[in-house]
Amino acid sequence: MNFLTLAAKNLLRRRGRTFLTVLGVAIAITVLFSLLSLNSGYEKELNREMGSLGVHILAVPKGCPYEAASLILHGGVIPKYLTATDLKNVSSIDGIGLATPMLMQQFIRQDAKTGKDVPHVVFGIKIDEVRELKPWWKVQGRFFDDNETNVMLVGRGLADKENLTVGSILPAGPFKNFTIIGILERTGDQDDQFHFVPLAEAQRVFNKTGMLTTIAVKVKDLSQIEKVSVDMEKIPDIQVVTMTQIMGTIMNLAGSARSLLLTVIIIALIISAFGIINTLLMSVNERTREFGMMKAIGASGLDIGKMVLAETVFITLVGGLIGTTAAIVGSSLIEGFVKSMLPFAPRGSMVTLNPELIGFALAFSVVLGLICGLYPAFISSRLSPMEAIRGGVE
Amino acid sequence: MSGIIEAKSLVKTYRRGREEIHALRNVDFHVNEGEFVSIIGPSGSGKTALLNVLGCLDSPTSGSLRLNGTETWGLKESKLVKVRRENIGFVFQQFYLMPTLTARENIELPLLFSKKNRNKSRIDDVLRMVGLSDRGDHLPSQLSGGEMQRVAIGRALINDPRIILADEPTGNLDSVTSQMIFELFRELNRKGLTMVIVTHNLDLARQAQKMYTLRDGQIVGCDDMACISGRSDIEVQQVAV
Repeated sequence: MNFLTLAAKNLLRRRGRTFLTVLGVAIAITVLFSLLSLNSGYEKELNREMGSLGVHILAVPKGCPYEAASLILHGGVIPKYLTATDLKNVSSIDGIGLATPMLMQQFIRQDAKTGKDVPHVVFGIKIDEVRELKPWWKVQGRFFDDNETNVMLVGRGLADKENLTVGSILPAGPFKNFTIIGILERTGDQDDQFHFVPLAEAQRVFNKTGMLTTIAVKVKDLSQIEKVSVDMEKIPDIQVVTMTQIMGTIMNLAGSARSLLLTVIIIALIISAFGIINTLLMSVNERTREFGMMKAIGASGLDIGKMVLAETVFITLVGGLIGTTAAIVGSSLIEGFVKSMLPFAPRGSMVTLNPELIGFALAFSVVLGLICGLYPAFISSRLSPMEAIRGGVE
Repeated sequence: MSGIIEAKSLVKTYRRGREEIHALRNVDFHVNEGEFVSIIGPSGSGKTALLNVLGCLDSPTSGSLRLNGTETWGLKESKLVKVRRENIGFVFQQFYLMPTLTARENIELPLLFSKKNRNKSRIDDVLRMVGLSDRGDHLPSQLSGGEMQRVAIGRALINDPRIILADEPTGNLDSVTSQMIFELFRELNRKGLTMVIVTHNLDLARQAQKMYTLRDGQIVGCDDMACISGRSDIEVQQVAV
């Protein structure tokens, strides 16, 4: 027998109360662990998603650049357009490696299974240029040529959802009779959900001849991003958004949402801490005679304090373990909840489970236990044996 | 002869609001090593207060107390803990066993605090000494009152104390069991342990070698039972107490 087994056995005497206290700690740690894991995952996934665009600068029609950027990232439609002249002007700027035009549009199609209207995003692209931006694109079937008609590529996610295969012909919508000649291998980003057609075909189908929604720019040298974007700003009607700006803006917006979540968590932790202290003080008050007996049989104040502290750490450590496990097991549920609260949520999984984070959550629960246990341990260690045996509390 | 317990002019005064309660008034108390002493007296006479002061659970308001040659008056709690651990084993009326620990673990508990070697054979020896060899793995709830008190006595013995202080050790037991517990005390005393027992039970108190009588915080009688055994006048006097 040692202090830990003694503490564990003491806690088992009050199973109901111990269970509730452990549960309180577990919930607090679940929320804390989830937020921390999502926090690091969010930034990582956002960076990955930005990188997957393969684009350093976006040229969009003048207006709110952040709204435009957000729309682009979500596959939304910008109600303003650039022209071929803008493309020519952009391409002529020094330091630009590639400037490729894109027309992004939406069409609505009824879902075959649910019968609900589902928005579909379609990109008109120059395939060779986009493949240069996204060299990781691989296709089942083949890529189209820019001058082909009635051909389409679809992302893997969309193909799986819509049951599309290479050679399928779309039965309805503006792209009726288009043949799917290739399905992109899964990229893990928004491309998995999009349709891609040659730029000219998109302009023809949507009656936007000569119109572009964005020009995606890749610079020759990353250090020139600022200089190139300044030069691009000089072109009338063009708004320039660098990926760094988009990242910064999204991170700022996300930061506000996370601050709110963090506040909730801190409040939850404080309530949990007071709950633990209250439980322990009640337990100390109930056990004064027992502590008196222990002092009579040779325990010092330090021994009693150590025992109470061990009980607290036991509660918080078990709570921490349960909380961390619950956070890992229920990460998808929690992720869904957090994503719904964030202004921009990446499509991929945001949950990162690294050992350091698990270690931190457990260490935090132990520190919580130590902090919460100090006062009750101090109170119990100071009980005079005589007063304690009489059942009085000093 | 120098005693293992030497108390001189012990005063213990409690304060309850404005009221002062004089639990002990100039008590002189002397116990030689290996003696079996009982303390009797009516409720409120100061028996338990005296025992608690002798056991360093409570400090006297004034007076001197030497335990095994060590002056305890004015010692800090940390030093008193050491004195208690090395010299004294306590037995209480209510047993105060830990309900989630087995008999064996309850007996082992003081070793956890004294950091002494917790070898199994020592605990087995104590279990045998108190007649509970076959009950070591039972929880207190599975034991009778007499057995629980035996566990408490075992717990008091495990640190090899020089003195056993017992406060109404038979107060919660029937007469047969009380006699058995007293027999156990006598046996321990025969092995050299000094015993000081507070009791209301005159029959049991008379089985001690020396019997102190307390009234209103003062010792009003000290009878050497070996000398007065069989004297009816003493018995009449004590019944009156």
